[in-house]
Amino acid sequence: MRAETLKGHLDGLLLASLEHGPRHGYAIMQALRAGSGGQFDLPTGTIYPALRRLERAGLVQGAWAEVGGRRRRIYQLTAAGWRTLAAERDAWRDFSAAVTALLEPAARPVIP
Amino acid sequence: MTGGQVIEAYLAQVAAALPGPARARRDVVAELHSGLLDAADAYRRAGLPEATAAQAAVGEFGDPRQVAGAFSHELIARHVRQLTFLLAAASAPVGLLWAHAVQASHPALSRAPLWRWIGEPPVPLAAAAFLIAALVALGTIAVTGRLTRWLPGGPRHAAVSAAIGGYGAAAADTAIFILLIHQIATSPATLAPLPVAAAASASLARLVFSRRAAQRCLTARAALTEPDRAW
Repeated sequence: MRAETLKGHLDGLLLASLEHGPRHGYAIMQALRAGSGGQFDLPTGTIYPALRRLERAGLVQGAWAEVGGRRRRIYQLTAAGWRTLAAERDAWRDFSAAVTALLEPAARPVIP
Repeated sequence: MTGGQVIEAYLAQVAAALPGPARARRDVVAELHSGLLDAADAYRRAGLPEATAAQAAVGEFGDPRQVAGAFSHELIARHVRQLTFLLAAASAPVGLLWAHAVQASHPALSRAPLWRWIGEPPVPLAAAAFLIAALVALGTIAVTGRLTRWLPGGPRHAAVSAAIGGYGAAAADTAIFILLIHQIATSPATLAPLPVAAAASASLARLVFSRRAAQRCLTARAALTEPDRAW
């Protein structure tokens, strides 16, 4: 999938990847790749600045920690991050339902 | 080239293109280093030899200039925010020292209503410059922090508004110095030497700092080559 297709959705995807617990940057990238069946294959280096932007916005909290014998920056959702994830999810459901209704032939009413 | 050298060479390319304070840049490079080691480990586990695994890891991370460009926005946003906080923190003692100097030099004026102060020619200029500096500083702090979720604008605009704040503070100090020179020329005996000297020293320090901070912000703004929100 082209990287441009993800524009505007990356924040929600990153927040969702932290839903099941704190993760470091590379683990987040692996989660996105695995969760999308390999469809979301962004340059891994661009994930890190996006995480820093979410941190500046107060949606995730990052902290250095020793994990598996290596120092890693671990990110977790903040209360605002949880709220934003829920809002992004609702907005996506509405949007995808509307697009599906228009794009899927079986879902469209037949107009004589 | 060993795997370690491949990763170090990649990180050096990213580091060379990162703007902002050295400490923040080191933090970014450390995080990328940790991620690259994780990626190289994953490729090694998949069966690649060490050097090839490191090559695959840096290939996965993407063009170092693109990665540095994406980080630049965050580093500059933080840098601009720090400079604005420092400027705001420096402004409080400067204001207090001048208030004390005015009170010590003109006890009658200090008890007079504000509009009598405004009557002195450079005072409106200093007040207007200070007001502009304070407003843009508040705006800069807002768009570089948590409010960034709701407010438009990004590091580019923040760098420009912080520069306006810095130049505004410098203009306020310049206007104060014009007023001081005018006072020294017309009625030097009325000035309380120590409080005025202390306030003038603080103002001079803030003037130098705020000009430098404004120039740094504009330099940082020029370093941003990509749109504020590439993602």
